[in-house]
Amino acid sequence: MGKFFFADSPRTALTMAYWAFVLYLLLPLTLMMAMSFKNADFIAFPVGDWTFDWYVKVMQDRQFLDACIYSVFIAAATTIAASTLGVWIAMLIASTEGRWGAVLFALACLPAVVPGMISAISLRIFISTIDMPTGTLAIILGHTVHAVPFVVVMALTRLRSMPVNLVDAARDLGADSIVAFFRVTLPYLGPAIGGGMIFCILLSIDDFVRTFFLGGYRPTLPMLIFAKVQGGMSPEINAMATLVLIVTAAVGLYAEYYTRRSRSR
Amino acid sequence: MQAIVQFENVTKAYGQAVAVADLNLSIEAGKFVTLLGPSGCGKSTTLRMLGGFEIPNSGRILLAGQDVTRLPPNKRNVNIVFQDYALFPHMNVARNIAFGLELKGLTSDAIHKRVMELLALVQLQDYAGRMPSELSGGQRQRVALMRALAPDPQVLLLDEPLSALDAKLRQQMQIELKAIQERTGKTFLFVTHDQEEALTMSDQIVVMNNGRVEQMGDPHTLYSRPESVFVANFIGEANLLRAKVVGADVQGTALTWNGKQVGAAASAHSAKPGDSMIMVVRPEAIQFATGGDTSNAFAGKIRQRVFKGNHTSMMIEVGDGTRINALVHQGETEALSGDDVWLSWKPQAATVIRDEAAAG
Repeated sequence: MGKFFFADSPRTALTMAYWAFVLYLLLPLTLMMAMSFKNADFIAFPVGDWTFDWYVKVMQDRQFLDACIYSVFIAAATTIAASTLGVWIAMLIASTEGRWGAVLFALACLPAVVPGMISAISLRIFISTIDMPTGTLAIILGHTVHAVPFVVVMALTRLRSMPVNLVDAARDLGADSIVAFFRVTLPYLGPAIGGGMIFCILLSIDDFVRTFFLGGYRPTLPMLIFAKVQGGMSPEINAMATLVLIVTAAVGLYAEYYTRRSRSR
Repeated sequence: MQAIVQFENVTKAYGQAVAVADLNLSIEAGKFVTLLGPSGCGKSTTLRMLGGFEIPNSGRILLAGQDVTRLPPNKRNVNIVFQDYALFPHMNVARNIAFGLELKGLTSDAIHKRVMELLALVQLQDYAGRMPSELSGGQRQRVALMRALAPDPQVLLLDEPLSALDAKLRQQMQIELKAIQERTGKTFLFVTHDQEEALTMSDQIVVMNNGRVEQMGDPHTLYSRPESVFVANFIGEANLLRAKVVGADVQGTALTWNGKQVGAAASAHSAKPGDSMIMVVRPEAIQFATGGDTSNAFAGKIRQRVFKGNHTSMMIEVGDGTRINALVHQGETEALSGDDVWLSWKPQAATVIRDEAAAG
């Protein structure tokens, strides 16, 4: 045992570092989830009495349910807008040769690397300049700009692996370029677009900074939780956070499974 | 003869590089025609221009008498079998074949009937529901062929479709392709760089080089009567012997080579006595004369002898140092490497072509 353990020390070090990382990642989450079952109005360790009451309370909380619906609506709108734009831009980049293609690609990726705060402030200044009210539409626009590069990168990767002759074959068999796009290119991009859409949903649901600057009076989920935290920590917040965590993790894992399955075909 | 496809003075250049130069070509309906040439000779560009994927810089392309030079691919009644098959990966075999039919607006009953009919032609009826990724190379090849045939094109274009298959399967597909062409009576325009493939399947071969047509004819004529050094070398093996013209008439040409007079079947009417010409003699036409020093036999020494199974290939050096390749079948000669032999060939087995180096 000892011999085995010390025979390959770099590997042992790597393995231990990995498990330390996992522990650091999971411990706070576990603690947060555990606290959501605490039968008290405050947060402290150990949990002591366990209860489901906080979940019952959260599920009956109109504010929470309303924020959920609002977040999902914004995420859906963002996803539709960002994936349409993203695929469009990816097609344009793929068909542009040489330096121009690189310039287009760099521009399209810019929103992913601009710090959220900078992007949020500039968007806020922009919408007030053009006299657009803060609120739903402004949030969707802000989220969309942020999500587009992720769709572009995923769609472009898939497009670059697509045999050139596929579109030629469709054209040859009588399809004009629009039919060829919808019947051959788009289905080929399917898995990449699916993955990109999940990305859009997660980015939008998670976004706080842009929503904070562009939002109106109706809170999205992160804004609601932020507001509640300011009113003092209570296990109710932990219950909300736990629900959000479970749903997003499930969506993320399903996305991973889905893209893997369709890529292996 | 009815021409289904006509290229009239077609030129295609990419910047400075000329891919096809002033091409004039007419293709007979119902034939298996092959564009043969080395890579970069313009054969694929010619095919893509007919398919509508490249627009010529000048000239006209006629399809059944109609000018299609600038028509997009979806508006012309020709279909391509691509080199990598280009089957749609997200559609099963039946949907792949149905693609062109659906776009023609056929009813679903008619489409189903036609798809099954085509699959039966290549014994793939049981594979209608399979995805392309579940097929072997040969099966994909057949599906690609049927997909292209489905919309009933006036000309079927095949862009080196056999190059991805292994040698054995390729030979099998050559026979099958030819059989399908004969059964359907369609005009096939096949592109390849493989001379053996071209000889096996074609009714007509168009040999291309540097964007131009070198020679066009049936396989037998091209093999036995090449009109240029390029064609003689590209199709099969050839001994190219520089000889002086003695005289020429409609029957053939008389020449002197290595001090003796020889005949060649091809007539070189424009040649004058004393002109230099190149005589083409195929290795299998070389005979080992037993009579010794007769008027048309040449003395030589066997320098190399390679047993190739069903034949033996020999390299023989004659008087002036010229090396001649000969192909002998079993039992024709017992001569070994280092032996002195007498060579000859029949005048009808030799042809003459212009000596471009001498003509300048």
